[in-house]
Amino acid sequence: MKISLSRIFQFFFLALFLFLFVTTDYRGKDEISVALNSFFRADALVVTSYLLSAKTFTLLLLPGLLVLFFSLILGRFFCGWICPLGTVIDLVTKRIKKGRPLAFLKGRIKYYLLFTILFAALFNMNLSGLLDPMAILVRFLTFSLYPLIGFLAREGWVGLYRILGDSRDYLDPGYSFLKTYLLPFRATFYPLAFLSLVFFAAVLVLERYERRNWCRNLCPLGTLLGLLGRFSLFRRLPARLCADCGDCRTLCPTSFDEEVLQKPDCILCLDCQRKCTFQRVRFRPSLKTGKEPLFSPGRRVFVTGVVSGLFASRIFTVVSSERATRLLRPPGVEDEEEFLQRCVRCGECMKVCLKNALYPASLQAGLYGLYSPVLHPRLGYCEYNCSLCGQVCPTGAIPRLPLEVKKKAVIGLAIFDKNQCLPYAKKMNCMVCEEHCPIPDKAIRFESVEEVDYSGKRITLKRPYVVDKLCIGCGICEYVCPLEEKAGIEVFKKTKKRR
Amino acid sequence: MNRRDFLKLSGLFISMHQLLPKSLWAKETPVVAVAEGQDYGAITRSAVNALGGMGRFVKAGDTVAVKPNMGWDRRPEQAATTHPAVVRAIVEECLRAGAKRVKVFDNPCNDMRRSYENSGIPAALKDLKNVDVRYMEEERYKKVNLKGTFLKEWELYSDALTADVFINVPIAKHHSLTTLTLGLKNMMGIMGGDRGFIHRQIEDALADVNSVVKSHLVVIDATRILTAHGPTGGSLRDVKIVNKVIASTDIVAADACATGLFGLKPQEVPITVTAYKRGLGEMNLDKVKIIKA
Repeated sequence: MKISLSRIFQFFFLALFLFLFVTTDYRGKDEISVALNSFFRADALVVTSYLLSAKTFTLLLLPGLLVLFFSLILGRFFCGWICPLGTVIDLVTKRIKKGRPLAFLKGRIKYYLLFTILFAALFNMNLSGLLDPMAILVRFLTFSLYPLIGFLAREGWVGLYRILGDSRDYLDPGYSFLKTYLLPFRATFYPLAFLSLVFFAAVLVLERYERRNWCRNLCPLGTLLGLLGRFSLFRRLPARLCADCGDCRTLCPTSFDEEVLQKPDCILCLDCQRKCTFQRVRFRPSLKTGKEPLFSPGRRVFVTGVVSGLFASRIFTVVSSERATRLLRPPGVEDEEEFLQRCVRCGECMKVCLKNALYPASLQAGLYGLYSPVLHPRLGYCEYNCSLCGQVCPTGAIPRLPLEVKKKAVIGLAIFDKNQCLPYAKKMNCMVCEEHCPIPDKAIRFESVEEVDYSGKRITLKRPYVVDKLCIGCGICEYVCPLEEKAGIEVFKKTKKRR
Repeated sequence: MNRRDFLKLSGLFISMHQLLPKSLWAKETPVVAVAEGQDYGAITRSAVNALGGMGRFVKAGDTVAVKPNMGWDRRPEQAATTHPAVVRAIVEECLRAGAKRVKVFDNPCNDMRRSYENSGIPAALKDLKNVDVRYMEEERYKKVNLKGTFLKEWELYSDALTADVFINVPIAKHHSLTTLTLGLKNMMGIMGGDRGFIHRQIEDALADVNSVVKSHLVVIDATRILTAHGPTGGSLRDVKIVNKVIASTDIVAADACATGLFGLKPQEVPITVTAYKRGLGEMNLDKVKIIKA
């Protein structure tokens, strides 16, 4: 069987995607040269909603604009040639038995969805990441699949140690190789792993009803590209199904719901051309738009989009009490609102985070903040000399800061709880937090006092305190606090006072 | 005297000998070798040679554990970790003495990848054969019955326990809680579990560990020392270039000798005092033979 050019491209980009996914990690260098964010930078939905919500432009997203531009000329090539989720769907769809198409997905639903997202973005609420196809895939990989693979490999390796003991060392070169180039460094489990799996699985389950069901009936990125693709200069001839054959109806993965090829849905896989028994099908550049009736979203969709976008942008805002206190964002993020307008929820920062300090928010940041990264110092801390999250963020929501600037970026402020902290509460020396504090001049210092402890012994007690203007809230103090229950020192968000 | 009497008498004599405290028989004066110079590899070698050379400790076919300080994500010039040239010289000497395998490891407080990488130690040992510089793995810790005064039992790293020779290679630096961190404190790196817990009685905890896992050789890297804001440091203002390496088989004597570099007396470092009281070595420098190597 001949493999089509589009298939080759699909495999190439999927392989590239997976390669970049694995390399988005610390590899012994302070800088990551290429990372997964390239895919998001070329994501037309991401760039469009970023422009609408942040209302500014960043050069990071130039590739996305180019994709928009080329879709205007070529059509929805992105879906059939590049999109890794589309490729994954193509790979599994043959093994899934098809039933009847779901009627309620037909028609305008995808336009309502897209316009709701876009108008919500215009009303300052960027929800695009939730349903972006690549974000769905990356989140599934980052939160669900990759940790599971890491866990299994790790447990297997530990199990071998139980059986073989030190002679396991003979196998070490092999495992080291896997560990260096393929496996996650740590097996971390993420909240929302299940939800991420559900999102991804739902896309595959949709394949029970028809091919590329997600792509043709729901995907907001695909819909957006389709809106432009309808103006593309490439036209399929003949536009209709031929009276004597009609094979295209089954050959075509997306666009022959009707007698006429639905240009906004055509992903240019060119299967119809390649497999045409009569060699009739041609894709030709042409300035004529053709007279074939095409489904148009129309005014109603537009108006509904405005209304539901406004509605969504308000209803998703949940101001929680945690927002002001424990909602710690990655280093360099200064304004919560602005951050959420830019964050794609792709999960790359969480994947790359050295100490697994970043976790996806479930509801701490409101429903709107779902999947946005939050730092949990009890689980991991921000490594002083590391600036990887800012390097992999595709939209600059986490700013890419030079290391020396990042080291001064304030995440929060550490505060002692003297009812917990050992030297205060139990008159015992401890100082683990002070020891770990990475600030060269120490943001945690101590005073030595002569004390009589609770057993009546005279002791020199070292009592720690925080130097507020040096503390950056990296959280290592809270992370290493040896108290098993609540930590004796905790990092709180530093909020700017509103006037 | 017949044969039976002879056997009885000699048996008695041997058992008497066993009963007498050995220290009365022949008390060895601990030796500390101090080498000075700018070639850190060379001074490490001369310090070890002054003690009789690596061949005194490492026999052909031995597995050697070398425990430097790679505890923090800092670069060598920041003086929070052992200098790679010192570690390399020791590893090379071990190999030359016929070591089958040399294992170099530490349990860092910062991210282990960054700590290993930026210490410069893995890179310095990269071209040497039969040398492992691996991250410490959870499953290799063994619960050890320490029967100590503070720690009854604790998880220690099996590579340190099973090695034929254990070489302790700390850097000399300031430490806020324990005043200084030297050889005795460097042993924290073989401890697993919640290490923060032992801070509440750290002198006893470290004496407990050091009385079970003995360092056959202690080589203190004082090529540059961290004089303040330890153990992490980070500012070159706190770093003092000393160009010295101190080696001894007596861990307390080595620590006591290095204390002087900070303008302190051994009595001012509680870990040293506790270890001395527990019989782990000599801290009175007038009872120590210090040789310039």
